[in-house]
Amino acid sequence: MYLINKSQVLDIAKELQKEYQVYGPVMEKEAKQCMFVKVDDIAELDLNAPIPAKPPKHALFPQFERIMSYQYDKKNQKVEIKPDFDSSKKALFGLRSCDLTGVLCMDRFFLGQEFVDDVYKNHRKNMFIVTNTCNVPFKQCFCVCTDSGPSAQEGYDLNLTDLGDQYLVEAGSDKGKALAEKLGLKNSDDSHKKAKSEVIDKSINAFDAIAKDNKAWISRVVNRVTTGLIDEKVWEYIGNQCIECGACSFVCPSCTCFNIVDPVTGPETADRMRTWDSCSYEGYSRMAGGHNPRKPVEDRRSKRFFCKLSYSQSKKYLRPGCVGCGRCQWVCPGDIGLPNVVTYIRRDIQK
Amino acid sequence: MSELNNITIPEIATITEIKDEIIEVKTFYLSFDGRQGGQPPKFTSGQFVMCTVFGSGEFAVSLPPSPENDRFHLTVRRVGKVTNALHSLKVGDKVGIRGPFGNGFPFEEIKGKNVIYVAGGIGFIPLRSSIMRVMQNKDQFGRVLIFLGARTPQEHMYAYNIKEWKNTPGFEMNLTIDNPVPGWDGDTGFVHTLLKKKNIPVENTVAFVCGPPMMFNAVIKELTELGIKEENIISTLERHMKCGIGKCQHCAVGRTLVCTDGPVYNYKQLKTLGEQF
Repeated sequence: MYLINKSQVLDIAKELQKEYQVYGPVMEKEAKQCMFVKVDDIAELDLNAPIPAKPPKHALFPQFERIMSYQYDKKNQKVEIKPDFDSSKKALFGLRSCDLTGVLCMDRFFLGQEFVDDVYKNHRKNMFIVTNTCNVPFKQCFCVCTDSGPSAQEGYDLNLTDLGDQYLVEAGSDKGKALAEKLGLKNSDDSHKKAKSEVIDKSINAFDAIAKDNKAWISRVVNRVTTGLIDEKVWEYIGNQCIECGACSFVCPSCTCFNIVDPVTGPETADRMRTWDSCSYEGYSRMAGGHNPRKPVEDRRSKRFFCKLSYSQSKKYLRPGCVGCGRCQWVCPGDIGLPNVVTYIRRDIQK
Repeated sequence: MSELNNITIPEIATITEIKDEIIEVKTFYLSFDGRQGGQPPKFTSGQFVMCTVFGSGEFAVSLPPSPENDRFHLTVRRVGKVTNALHSLKVGDKVGIRGPFGNGFPFEEIKGKNVIYVAGGIGFIPLRSSIMRVMQNKDQFGRVLIFLGARTPQEHMYAYNIKEWKNTPGFEMNLTIDNPVPGWDGDTGFVHTLLKKKNIPVENTVAFVCGPPMMFNAVIKELTELGIKEENIISTLERHMKCGIGKCQHCAVGRTLVCTDGPVYNYKQLKTLGEQF
């Protein structure tokens, strides 16, 4: 473990920029919200900014992405395909632990199943991750309920913890260690380790205070969702509040559904694009010919929460799909962010 | 871990022949450009591939009988944007193929049993690959009963196969059309109504069912009433698919994905998935 002065912490990002495209939290002055974006000027990065409005998943799973382009010569009946995978070097700086957990969920889902996803693998293989421990909860955080915060446990290259006038820097990989050595960071001692655990204890208490409503209920609801012992009326109530905008899926750090389309780019050329998709859309499961096995909106809504909370889906992520960032709760125009859905199911259980 | 190398980028194949089957349904014979002798990748009956029509998109389609005995072909009904584009292609044009994906029909497990096939309309296409495989090993199976339903006599697909099977000893063919028409002397009415009329074996029997949702539910009801066990009723599902490799999630049914856990399920599994079919 190492130490770095607060005034110098961005030196880590500056060093990374020599090799990587750096993504990090930047405050938008007009909107007064934090966005996790690619930065050219390291000074724009703000480690004290609140949790970004959108998760960093766009850096490794872009909203629109070309995976190949092709040329089809109709007259001569020839086709040429050019794969187009992005394996550029990217560094995610100042990631919150909920978002890191989202990245780990995606890793296990895209890389750890029967088939390995080539597109994701290329994004991920040259990545450097610097996480940032949360000292205070923001808005509707509930990572303490989903075991994904406030401090990162695994999967980072470097982890930063604010100890007041300096940051504790922990290396989680050889890559991270090499960078810390290269920067000549001074070593920490046991007192700093103790200071970190005090910071985290304090932080957990603060998180608990805002999440106490749901804390014990998430696992109870996981059981209900898995066994299907939830009254259809609850799903109907939830479905009635869904306007099928798809925002919850787009801001979710672990939502990975995508669509594949082939937009035509010229008289005889086209791209194959992968775009984000959402299970709330009516066309999501509609087949050619019009048959839709999930026509009612509540059928589609229940599937999203099944995906986030059921045991069978947790097996794919090796943890619940929900990482407790609370973003679905901020963006939902209805009132069916995940914490509220837990509340509705809880009310039904308690009845 | 899969050893396929075409899971993201399609292989190119050339259309060598196009055959009209019935109205709006064509069969496309394909030769794989990058493989020796144009032979397809190894696959088993009941699996599917993702077929790209360049400039239009991609769709999932079930596979033909086995590669050894028949040239690789895909039978496709013209129904949406991409399949319409496929139908406009000519011999010599290229398509892209990813796959094969999915689990396939049981074969070794059902040896020694009676086999019933019930298909409605183009539900016959995937079942045909299993029928062909059983036919090639006929002596290892009990009675084989085939029930095919179509709207009109002209919509009975693969007339050449039906003719052959009618003359195959041990194969019992039952064809029906929805409403009587002049010149049709066979059965009429929906295909599920035939099941109780014909003396079908119940013990030691496996039933394969594929067809539109209404027909599927009616057939399942008849078969279970007759006493065929739920785990011996086998079906293959059709769902909206984009990736074929368990990532895009469009084909999720309950806790499973049709592309990697299916497309072949038995009715006992289907019942636990908690969705409508």
